[in-house]
Amino acid sequence: MPLEPFSASAALTMGVELELQLVSLSDFDLVAGSPDMLELLARRPFPGTVVPEITESMIEVATSVHTGFSGLLDQLRSIRDALLWAGDRLNIGVCGGGTHPFQQWPERRIFDKPRFREVSQLYGYLTKQFNIYGQHVHIGCPGADEALFLLHALNRYVPHFIALSASSPFVQAHDTLFNSARLNSVFAFPLSGRAPFLLRWDEFTERYFTKMEHTGVVRSMKDFYWDIRPKPEYGTIELRVCDTPLSVERAAALACYLQCLCKHLLERSEPPPHEDDYLVYNYNRFQACRFGLEGTLVHPKSCDHIPLREDILTTTRHLARHAEQLRCTAALEHISAICHQGSDAHFLRGEYARRGVVEAMVDSALQRFRA
Amino acid sequence: MTTRNMPDLQTLIADIAWPVTILLAWLTGELVYQRLRLPRISGYALVGFVLAPGQTGLLPAERSETMLLMANLAFGLILFECGYRINLRWLRNNPWIAVTSVAEASATFAAVAWLLQWLGQPQSTALLFAALAMATSPATVLRVVNDQHSSGQVTERIIHLSALNCVLAVLTFKMLIGITVFETSGSHLGALYSSVFVLAATVAVALAFGTLIPRIVGLTARSTHDTTLAFAIAVICVVALTHGLKLSPILGALTFGVAARHHRVVSSTSQRGFGPLGDLLAVLLFVFIASTLHWRQLLAGAGIGLAIIAVRQLAKMAGIGVFARVSGISARKGILVGMAMAPMSAFVILVMEQTRHIGIDLVDQLEPLAAAAFALEILGSIVVQRALIWAGESQREQGG
Repeated sequence: MPLEPFSASAALTMGVELELQLVSLSDFDLVAGSPDMLELLARRPFPGTVVPEITESMIEVATSVHTGFSGLLDQLRSIRDALLWAGDRLNIGVCGGGTHPFQQWPERRIFDKPRFREVSQLYGYLTKQFNIYGQHVHIGCPGADEALFLLHALNRYVPHFIALSASSPFVQAHDTLFNSARLNSVFAFPLSGRAPFLLRWDEFTERYFTKMEHTGVVRSMKDFYWDIRPKPEYGTIELRVCDTPLSVERAAALACYLQCLCKHLLERSEPPPHEDDYLVYNYNRFQACRFGLEGTLVHPKSCDHIPLREDILTTTRHLARHAEQLRCTAALEHISAICHQGSDAHFLRGEYARRGVVEAMVDSALQRFRA
Repeated sequence: MTTRNMPDLQTLIADIAWPVTILLAWLTGELVYQRLRLPRISGYALVGFVLAPGQTGLLPAERSETMLLMANLAFGLILFECGYRINLRWLRNNPWIAVTSVAEASATFAAVAWLLQWLGQPQSTALLFAALAMATSPATVLRVVNDQHSSGQVTERIIHLSALNCVLAVLTFKMLIGITVFETSGSHLGALYSSVFVLAATVAVALAFGTLIPRIVGLTARSTHDTTLAFAIAVICVVALTHGLKLSPILGALTFGVAARHHRVVSSTSQRGFGPLGDLLAVLLFVFIASTLHWRQLLAGAGIGLAIIAVRQLAKMAGIGVFARVSGISARKGILVGMAMAPMSAFVILVMEQTRHIGIDLVDQLEPLAAAAFALEILGSIVVQRALIWAGESQREQGG
């Protein structure tokens, strides 16, 4: 099946998808609760969309299309309240966090749906290891070439989003020393990483996608697990590197930070993206995953070494003008606050140090999501 | 070598009877689990019944206080785990869970009491047995849940509802015992002692442990990381103490579990089912329970026994099914929860043995009870397993 045409959408509109954890409120371990949650949620109108994910301990929610921070945040809050309403009736807690800190992957159950069973057959244990939770942000693009331009122009900012959203310090009851351990699980998949450096949509479809399809390796864009990928049917690019934050406020703020950045990049005041930018891409991404805001970036053009935290704070100052126009100054204030107070990963480690047991991190995550 | 040093054959057989039985039971359990895909505990029960003194007679005939204590310990560990998986806040968040529990327990009590009186049993016996029939054995439920690695609403609800109806059953039973003591002896003091005091003292012991132990464990949590052993030892203490004081070890272990869970916001990981220690004691428990049954009792009580099972099952399914939708699950899952509430043997038989221990013999009064208990000892676990599979909550049936 050839790649569908890129349907244009209003520039800089945004939508958010969140993969959320379903945990038992009795023992804080993951629980196979999505069939029961979906059954109960279907009884009344849901303020967005809610769908199952590959294992039954995950649920995915999505907002509609938004232009500003307050509208997006309002909808995310209504979605959260609906989830909490259902969860409380079923003894199921809903929370963010890129990984569950102590779940054992063999215990997970695959949701009964043909595509999920197929993926599970193909990838074996990777599928259950893939019991990780991310936030995806869509940004609307007026045309396909703009989408590819944005996708590559953002390469230098990808580590910002990793460090700001990082909320997966623990895996299987042990501190990984990473701030986002979740992305390590994504890298295990053969089609992860970055999109090929092609800036024109016709080139992308003919020179890349059609050839890849011909090899039989992929059938649709869904088979690519890239950090940023185009989504032709929505007319958007989709940023996929974020861990699901512990609060919906942070999720909304991250989306608006991306929106401001895209507005800035579309002014084309920065030097255009180049294939060689990707020489430092994996190194920078590792720095963000491992050290979070304490990491050091290598600037792809100047090769300067810059502390990640400082780079984000500088960027938020540059974006202030755009934020005012997009009415999302509050979102950028939230981003600066993360730089000063620490990420969710930092918070979770603190809770573990304070209370001494891994369950405490889940308990705190549940309270953050509810707050 | 003189014959004086040769062990006496009789003594030898008596000495190795229990260990060999446990070995056979374990083996049968594994075969049943792997070949027939049935719950392990149904295999344990089968071996216990076949080798019991009333049947082939490998096991010694005299009732052993030690074995009763061991069985209570095993049951105690499971009840503690059950209590530990109870979230009392759920009852506040969703009051329909509590309503469901009271509905199914009282429906069962009323239905079974009516049936037994209609069949000509004296009122006091009918009521005592009806009280026991309220309970679903958390031991069977939890072992099957752990065997199947199940999770979901049916799993969550049978754990909560079986713990709740055990508490309701113990309360009702002790109250009825109090009334019986009063009627036969006319002693207010005796009546009060065997009901209110026993319950209050049991809860007090359990709460004391539930408050103290997590604190003590908290001091060592960082060095050990896994608190399974600490809690296992504490459960053994609670059971031995309540058993020795002739209180209720069942209520004690369950309350201890709930208290330990709620006295710290969260506690560190304990291995599900207390690991190999829990597995060993579970074999012992289910063998012991089945070994207390005699085929003659079963045969004599078979008809009424089956009637009891049918009435009890209907009452439970109706009591839970009616409130299924309003409590947040589909009617189908509600019926499956009701179905999975079948097991009662471990609970009933231990309570009766315990009651014999304090001087009231119920077993010999009620053969149908033994019949019902045995049928459910073997079948109960299979029914729970089926309910979990049909609800789509069993991890094992997905093939890993």
